[in-house]
Order: sequence, then structure tokens, then C-alpha cells
Amino acid sequence: MIEFINVSYIHQTGVVALNEVTVQFGKGELVAIVGANGAGKTTLVKHMNGLLKPTKGTVKVFGYDTTQQTVAALSRRVGIVFQNADHQLFSDTVEHEIEFGLRNFGFSDDVVKQRVDWALRFFGLKEYANTSPMMLSGGEKKRLCLAAVLAWDPDVLVLDEPTVGQDLLHKEKLEQIIRLLLTQEKTVILVSHDIEFLWPMQPRTVVMSKGKIIADRPASKVFTDDYVLASARLINPQLVELSKRLKLSNEEVFDTIFTAKRWFLTKYRWS
Amino acid sequence: MYWMANAFIFRRRDSPIHALDPRVKLLISIELFTLSLISSTIIHISVTLAVIFSIAALAKILVRIYRTLLFTAGFSILIFVINFLVGYSIITSFVLAVRFIAIVGSTSLFFLTTSPDELEYVMKWFRLPQDVVFAFVTAVRFVPVLMLDAIQIMDAQKSRGLELERGNFINRIKKLAPILIPLVVTAVIRSGELAEAMEARAYGAVKNPTSLYTLTLKRRDKSVGILSVTIFAAVLIYFLSG
Repeated sequence: MIEFINVSYIHQTGVVALNEVTVQFGKGELVAIVGANGAGKTTLVKHMNGLLKPTKGTVKVFGYDTTQQTVAALSRRVGIVFQNADHQLFSDTVEHEIEFGLRNFGFSDDVVKQRVDWALRFFGLKEYANTSPMMLSGGEKKRLCLAAVLAWDPDVLVLDEPTVGQDLLHKEKLEQIIRLLLTQEKTVILVSHDIEFLWPMQPRTVVMSKGKIIADRPASKVFTDDYVLASARLINPQLVELSKRLKLSNEEVFDTIFTAKRWFLTKYRWS
Repeated sequence: MYWMANAFIFRRRDSPIHALDPRVKLLISIELFTLSLISSTIIHISVTLAVIFSIAALAKILVRIYRTLLFTAGFSILIFVINFLVGYSIITSFVLAVRFIAIVGSTSLFFLTTSPDELEYVMKWFRLPQDVVFAFVTAVRFVPVLMLDAIQIMDAQKSRGLELERGNFINRIKKLAPILIPLVVTAVIRSGELAEAMEARAYGAVKNPTSLYTLTLKRRDKSVGILSVTIFAAVLIYFLSG
């Protein structure tokens, strides 16, 4: 679906942002890309819709070489939601903001109306339909950006730091949306430092450091590996830390708060 | 776009020009600016440009100044066309167009080799009011930030299907709205946050805040200053007599 073959990217300043990266992302996968600041995460995802073209190597999206495609053509299938909502919002109303992408991709008026209505309802923005996006709170702006991209129904959704500035309730809502997208066989790629958010979803985890992929394994294998975490300047999720302190084996590590609760109930009340 | 943004950002370099006192750099820049203004023949403007490029090479910013000048080439062509259309000869129109490039080059030399901190010290040395200095230096500091913001906004809007390169001139202008509006909004938000942060750090609490650094002219600075004034005077006499 998305294939990086020996991809290197060197900035104008000479900084090597990606160094011989080879990785594939398949249909219906949930992938987390983690790593320290400057590890190359955002550079990697910007190659997925052709915003950046590789200095060396090939990026193929649905079989097409990205150097031969326009950003618009690739974005129709790979939707990227960037970190800073203020960099994206410009329309006079929330409704028009969602319309923007749909119009650019040439959807008919009927479809635009349908999709906008769906996005407004799905993201709880109906009451703000005629409000200026600038008047929304930080969390609402983030949701609007996500709504504006999901409105055109891309096959792959890339979320760059989706939980920054979000309260717990919105994080939970976001998790539900991601799980729903996965049931629809969408590929969801998360670029995030928020390991507490990632851990319960147990994504395939790609760890980057200095422009290279240093690990590409299930979350259960990455977030329990102290060496990999240290390389990516991350720490264990709290549930992993708790499991370690309870001296549980890697197979028994708590993945959600519910498994932890069950373990405690079994151990201290029912046993 | 990336390379263009890069052309406007000050970067520290290990060069004899960067190491000079900022007041000397300002003096050289003013001298070159004056020469650019009074250049009226192809020889004059060629001499001025040659000096600008020589200093840029010495400062190891030749590529960056070339990019800056390339950016101004569009205006230069416009100046050439307008002057030619109003009746000036091709040579005069050409000199006027190149003069604009030389003017931009002479000022760019100063800004590409002088850090915002040094700029602040120079303005304070001229005893300009603290608020004016702060506003000007902040504006200079924010130019590269705004350029990078513009790049990120363009990336975000392109990812939503915006094709800036397509359509006629009017359509292309219209397509700038999704870029310019978020750019202005983020600049306003940032300036508000900066004002609050500065107040929280006691900005304006005293009339004359102290400075950690003071400008001191070294022997090398004095020598370069005297040399540049001498050369400038000689070239000026040559230009005015020719």
C-alpha cells in the first residue's frame, strides 16, 4: 500500500533526515511512529503524500511512484492531519472549512453536502457549523482538522501528534474514532510521543532514531524493550512499569487498565 | 520554498566579516548602499556589485546572497520594463534595474552577517528608545519564523488538495487566501503570547535595563573601518567625477 524502498532524504542544509529507510505499511494496519525530536518522523510521513520527494530511493503509494504524482492526487488517498490546527484553518465557518478539501478534490454538490453533514455530526461540531473556526477551543480545532480530512474518506489516515493539547475525554474519543476506522479496513498511522495513548491500542510500532528505523515490532515488544526506548528517548508506559514492578513476565504485561484491574481482583480478592 | 526561506535566515559562520563589530558592518553596508544609489553607468554598477560579491565570498554567504538577489530579480525585471516603456534607453533601464539588485545586496550583506542580538546592540548604541529597538529586533527575528510557518501552512493546505500551481493568474491569487489567513492568524496569536511572556518576565519594569554585553571596537575593527572609509571616499570621487 505504502512502500519505502531505501529512501534517503537530505535537507537543503545538508542534514540527513532519512537514511536508507525501507518499510511498508499495509491495508487496515494501525502503526505508531515514535522517536525523539528530529528523528525523522514528520519527514517520513511527508513522503507519503508527496510533500517531500526522496533524495534517493523510491516511495510507492498504492503502486504509484510519488515522484510521478501530484500532492493533490496522493492526498486524495493519504490524508494527513498536521499537528498545528492554526496552520490549517482559514474559512469563515466550520462548515466551509470541511468543504474546502472536498471542493478541491472535485466532489459534486450533493456529495459535499452529505459529507459535510456527516463530518459535523460525527465529530460533534454540528452546533458550530456556522461559527468561525478561530472561535473554537484548541481541542475543537483539532477535531475540525480531523473532520476536514476524514470528510473525503482517504484510505490512509496519518495523524501527526494528534493528542497534543487534548484533554482525556477527547483522547478517548480519538481512540474510538481510530478503532472505528480500523474496522473499515483503513490504515491509520500515528506519529506521537504520547505512549500512554498508544499503548492500549497495541499498534505496530516503528521506532526512529537519527533518520533510521531502529525497531519495527508490535507495541508489546517495543514498549517493554528498555534499550529501544532509551534510543528513542522514551520511557515505559505506566502499565508496563507497573507490570515490571510486579515482576510479571512479558506475556503478562497489562495492555489496558481493565486487564490490570482483573489481575488485582484475581490475585487479592478471589484467590 | 525551503531554499528561499533559508536565504533570509541569519546563520553563524566562522568568517572575518561575521567576526567584525556590527557597527563596522553597518558602516560598510551604508557605504555600499550609497555607491549603489549613485551608480549611473554600467562600469559603476559593475564595480559596486563586484565589491558586494567579494565581501559576500569573504563572509562565506555567496550562495545565500545569490538566492536573496534571485528573489529580487522579478522586481528588477519590472523596473527595467517600466523604465524602458517610459522612454529611458535600454542601458539606463538596465542600470536602474541592476541598481535595485545592488541596493538589496548591500543591505542583505549586513542582515545576513549580523545576528539579531548584534542588531539590538547597534540600535541601543545609537540610543534609540528601548521599545523601538525591541519591536524592530523582534520583527527581524520573526521573519524566518514566519517563512517557516508559511511553508508548514502550504504543506497543510496542499495536503487538503490545494493546487497553487494550477489555474490562471487571478485563480492563483485567490488560492493564496488559505495560506495568508492562517499565516496572519498565527502571527497575531504568537505576538499576543510573546507580549504576555515578556510582561511576565518584567519587560518594561525599569526604564533603562542593563545589558550583559557591550560593544567594543577592537584594533581589527578600527583598521577595517578606516580602510573601508578610505576606499569608499576614493570610489565616490571616481564615480562623481566620471
